[in-house]
Amino acid sequence: MLEESIQELESGSLARIASATSLEDLETVRVQVLGRKGALDQFFKQMGKLAPDERARAGKVLNGAKQTLEAALESAKRQFAEAALRIRLDGEWLDPSIPAPGPRRGHLHPITHIQRELEEVFRSLGFAVLDGPEVETEYRNFDALNIPADHPARDAQDTFWLANGDLLRTHTSPVQVRGMERLGPPLRMIAPGRVFRNESVDASHEHTFYQIEGMMIDRGVSVAHLLYFMRIMLAEVFRREVNVRLRPGFFPFVEPGFELDIQCLLCNGAGCPVCKQSGWVEQLGCGMVHPNVLRMSGIDPEEWSGFAFGLGLTRLVMMRYAIDDIRHLQGGDLRFLEQF
Amino acid sequence: MKFSYNWIRELVEDLDCSPAALEKLITMKTAECEGIERSGELLERACAARVESVEPIPGSHNVKAAVDAGRYGRVTVVCGAPNCRVGIVTAYAPVGKKVIDGIESDGMLASGAELGVNRDHAGIIEIDSQVGAPLAGCLPDSVLEIDNKSITHRPDLWGHLGMAREVAAILGRKLKDPVRLDLLPEGPAAVDIQIEDLTLCPRYSALVFDNVTVRPSPLWLQSRMTAIGLNPINNIVDMTNFIMAELAQPMHAFDADLLHGDTIFIRPAAPGERYVALNDEEYTLNPANLVIADAAGAIALGGVIGGQRSAIGEKTRRVVLESANFQASSIRKTSSAIKLRTDASMRFEKAQDPANTIRGLARAIELLHEIAPGMRLVGGVADQMREIPPPPPIRLPLDWLERKLGRSIEPAEVRRILESLEFGVAQPEPRVFSVTVPSWRATKDVSIKDDLVEEVGRMVGYDSIAPTAPLVAAAVPPGNPERAFQHQVRGIFADQGFTEVYNYSFIGEEDARAFGFDPAAHVRVSNPIASDQVLLRMSLLPGIRKNILENSKHRESFRLFEIGVEIHRRAEGLPDEIPHLMAVLYDRQGDGAAGLAEIRRAAECLMPGAQASPAEARPYEHPVRSAAILWRGETVGRAFELHPSLVESGRAAVLDLDLRLVRALSAGDLKYAPIRRYPSSAFDLSVVAAPRECVGDLQSAMASFAGPLLDSIEFVRQYSGPPLEAGQKSVSFRLTVGSPERTLSSEEAGEIRARIIDGMRARGYELRL
Repeated sequence: MLEESIQELESGSLARIASATSLEDLETVRVQVLGRKGALDQFFKQMGKLAPDERARAGKVLNGAKQTLEAALESAKRQFAEAALRIRLDGEWLDPSIPAPGPRRGHLHPITHIQRELEEVFRSLGFAVLDGPEVETEYRNFDALNIPADHPARDAQDTFWLANGDLLRTHTSPVQVRGMERLGPPLRMIAPGRVFRNESVDASHEHTFYQIEGMMIDRGVSVAHLLYFMRIMLAEVFRREVNVRLRPGFFPFVEPGFELDIQCLLCNGAGCPVCKQSGWVEQLGCGMVHPNVLRMSGIDPEEWSGFAFGLGLTRLVMMRYAIDDIRHLQGGDLRFLEQF
Repeated sequence: MKFSYNWIRELVEDLDCSPAALEKLITMKTAECEGIERSGELLERACAARVESVEPIPGSHNVKAAVDAGRYGRVTVVCGAPNCRVGIVTAYAPVGKKVIDGIESDGMLASGAELGVNRDHAGIIEIDSQVGAPLAGCLPDSVLEIDNKSITHRPDLWGHLGMAREVAAILGRKLKDPVRLDLLPEGPAAVDIQIEDLTLCPRYSALVFDNVTVRPSPLWLQSRMTAIGLNPINNIVDMTNFIMAELAQPMHAFDADLLHGDTIFIRPAAPGERYVALNDEEYTLNPANLVIADAAGAIALGGVIGGQRSAIGEKTRRVVLESANFQASSIRKTSSAIKLRTDASMRFEKAQDPANTIRGLARAIELLHEIAPGMRLVGGVADQMREIPPPPPIRLPLDWLERKLGRSIEPAEVRRILESLEFGVAQPEPRVFSVTVPSWRATKDVSIKDDLVEEVGRMVGYDSIAPTAPLVAAAVPPGNPERAFQHQVRGIFADQGFTEVYNYSFIGEEDARAFGFDPAAHVRVSNPIASDQVLLRMSLLPGIRKNILENSKHRESFRLFEIGVEIHRRAEGLPDEIPHLMAVLYDRQGDGAAGLAEIRRAAECLMPGAQASPAEARPYEHPVRSAAILWRGETVGRAFELHPSLVESGRAAVLDLDLRLVRALSAGDLKYAPIRRYPSSAFDLSVVAAPRECVGDLQSAMASFAGPLLDSIEFVRQYSGPPLEAGQKSVSFRLTVGSPERTLSSEEAGEIRARIIDGMRARGYELRL
C-alpha cells in the first residue's frame, strides 16, 4: 500500500519536473516533495509504524524515490542553468571582421632586412661585423688601399670631397683598413654601410648607396677559400645552391682581382634577357688582398694572406625584391616602405 | 676599346676560333668582353661595278641605272646618289629585288658608309678596280667590345697586338709580330730632340719623311679604322691611328714645313701660354702641362692632342712623325685639367712602354711605303731617352704559388703559361722560378710575385680551382654592441608601429636655416651634386620633416623613424658621428596632445622608467610642447611637437634620442630582488595645483616626503572644474607603502600619509582629503 503511494508520488513528481518551465517551478516541486514537511517527509514519518520487515522494504523504496527525484531535480536545474548561459552568451556576439584598434607593427627598411640577413650569415661563419664612419680620410679611402694619388682607379669613383681634404667614403673598403689596424691577423670581418659617389641620381644611379665589404686574413688563405665563402654566402642570399665563376677583374687593393659571376638564376645558365643571353650575371668584385695593403696596415704579407670582397647591398636588395627604381630606397615614401 | 677580329687573326697564326668563342675565352682569361658587333656585312658579296647608263625617273630624285655588275651580270638599279653617273666604278651589292618608284631595282649601289668602309654617305663609293672584283682588303668583320675599366691596368691591351698575344697564349698559337725593326734607317737624324724633363717624357723618337702625298687612305685601311670606331681622315693621320690601334703607341704627324727650326723641344708650358689644338679649341696652359714646341711655341699638348699650326693638310709634303712616351700621371692631370680625353691620353695614362716608340716608327715606314707611294726617309731616327733599367726578375716559389691559388700545378705548366705571355723563366733553385717581365708589362702592371699568380691563375682557369673550406680555429667573432643595440632599437620601434626610412646624409643651406641651424657650423661638401646637398646633416630633422610633408599628402596619420648619424665638426680629425634615432608620429586630426603622449610611451618601450620634463623650446619646436627625455639620471634626447609652422596640415610629435648615450645607460648587469613577503597598504592623495604645474614635479615632491617605506607612487588622474576655483587643478596619486621586513601597522601608514600632507602644505599646496 505504502509502497504504491510512494511510487505514485515518485512518478507524479518526475512528470512535474519534466514539465517545469522555470527554476521557480522546480523549486516548488523541491519544497513540496523533498522539503522539510514535504510529501516524502510525510512518508518517512509513517515508517515507524510499520513492521520491521515491511519497514525495510518500504524504506528501500522511499530512499530510492528520494535519490531519483533529487537527481532529476539536479539535472533539470543544470539544464536550465546551461540554457540560461547559452542565452546570455549568445547575446554577446561580436563581429570578428571589424579591424582591431591600435597601431599595426611598423616595417623595417628593405636594406635593413637584407643587411641583417647577411650579418647573421657571416657572424655564424665567424666573421666580425665592423663599422666605420661616413666621413673618411683620403688615406684610408685610397692610399691605404693601394690607390695612390694619380691612380686612374680614382677616376672611376667620383668622390665627394670636404673642405679640409677628407671625403665621404666611396666604398666600405676603408673599414678593412680599420679592421686590420684594430684587430690584426687572423681576421675575419664584414663591414656593411653607406657609401657615396658623386653622380647624378636616376632610376638606376644613386649618389648614396649601400655596400658590404668582407675580408679574411689568416695563414695560407687561397683563391679556393675565397670561392668557398662566396658560394656559401650567395647560396644564403639567394636561398638556393648557386654556381659561381671567377674571371679576371681589376681592383687596386687586390692581386689577383676577380669579377665573380653567378649562373643566372632565372634561366639556370641557358641564356635569357636578364643575363643578356650569357647565362651568367655579374655579382661582386673580389680578390686576394694586395701585399701593399697588408703591409700598410702593419701585416707581414709573407706570413699572412687573405681575400676581400665587396658586394653591392643596394643592388642585391633591388634584385631580391624586384625593385626597378633605386630612388625608392631613400625616398621615404611609406607606400613603398610598408611593403617590406 | 674595340678589337677587330680580322686584325687579331692577322697577328695570330692559324687562328681557328670563332669570334663568339673568342669572346668567351677573352672574358674568362683576360678582360671583360661586352659584346660583338658585325661590321661591313655587305662586303661579303659586294663587287666593283660600272654604271653603263643613267635615266631620270619622272617625279623622283632617284635615277634608273644600268649597271655592269661583273659576275652578277647586267642589272637595273634605282639609285638616289647624286654622283650616280655614267662611267663611275662603284660597289654593287646583291641585296635582292625591290620595286622603287615603280621600277624593279635589283640590288644596290652602295656608299662607303653602307659598306662599312668609311663614314661617307654623301654618295656611292668611287673605286678604282676591275669590274666584278671584290673590294680589295675589305672584308666583313666582327668587332669585340672590351670594357675599358677591365684593362686600366694593362697598357699593352690598348692595342691589337697585346690582345693578339693574349689570344695566342690562350689558344697555344704563335704570335706574329708585325714590326720590322730592320727597316729603321741609320745615320744622323734630320731633327733635334730636346727633352727638358726626362721624368715627364722618358723618351721621344721621331723620323722625317719627304715627298709625301696626302690623300685618302686605301679602302682596306679606311675599313679597318671604321670597324674599330675611328674616322678615316687621310693616309697620314690614318697611319698614325692604325699604329696606335695596333701597337698601343700613340703617334703624331707634324707638317715639317710649318715648323720653325729643326729642333723639337719637350718642355713645360709657360704660364698662360696659349695653344690652339686640332679640335679648334684654344687652351690656356700652365707649367703643369707638358708641350711639344718648336722655336715659335707649342705645336702639341704632349700625349693629349696635336696643334692646329702644324696640322697635316692637302699641301703637306714633309712630315715629322712623333713617337713618344710620357709619364702617365702627368698626362692624366693635364687631360683632366683641360677636360679633354683623347685616344692618345687614354693610352698614355695607363703607362705605356718606352721601348715601343721606335717600334711604332718602324711600323710606320712599312705602312707609308704602301699608302704614300714615293715617300722618302730623311735621315736617321731621332731618339732621346732616359736610361730605363730592366726590371729585376721576380722570384716565384712554386709552393707559394700553389698555396695562393689553392690547387697544385705542374712546374712545366707554369713555365709554358709564362713563356706564352713572353715572360722569361729561369729556375735558379728547385721549385723556384726567376721570372723576367717583358717591357710592355713592366711599366706598372707586373712587378711582384702576386702579379704572376694572376697570370698563371687566369690561364689555367679559375674554374679549375675547387672551392675549399679553410682549416681555421673555431672562434666567436668580436661583437659589435653598438650595431646590435641599433638593431634592437629598430625592432622596438617597428613593433610600436613605426616604419623605418633612410634619408640622405646631405642637406641644403636652406634646410639648415629653416630649422635655425647655422650653415657655417656644418661639415661642407666642396663639390656638391646639387645646392640642396651641400652640408652634412647635424640633425636627422630636415630629412624627417621632408618625410612628414611628403607622406601627409597620402595619409591621415602615420608613424615613421630613422636611425642615422649626426655629423658634427670637430676642431681636428674626422667629425664626430653620433648615432641618433628620430621617430615621428603624425596626425592630421586632433590637437597633438595624444601624439606626444604616445611618442613618450614608445620611448618608454626602449627606456623603461624614462621621464620627460619641460625644456626651453628650440626654434623648430612648438613653443610650449618641448621636453627633455631623462633616463637613469641623464638627458638622452627630446620629445617635442614640431613647430606647427613647419608642418601646417597636422600635428607631428617627434622623439629624438642620442643612441650612443642610451646604449651606454642600457648596459649593466641585472640583479634579482626578492619578492616582498609582507603586504603593503595603499592610499590616495589629491593635491591642488596651478594649471601649468607638472605632475612629475608634484609626484617627486610627494615622494621626497614619504621616506624610505614608499613602495610606489602612481598618477591617477587630474581634474579641474567645480568645486575647484578657476585656475586650479586637482591631481590625484595612489601611494603604496610597505616594508620588506614586516607588515606596517595602520598607525605607521597613517604617519607617512600625514608627513606627506604636512610637507606639501609647508610648500603651499592644499590637499583635498
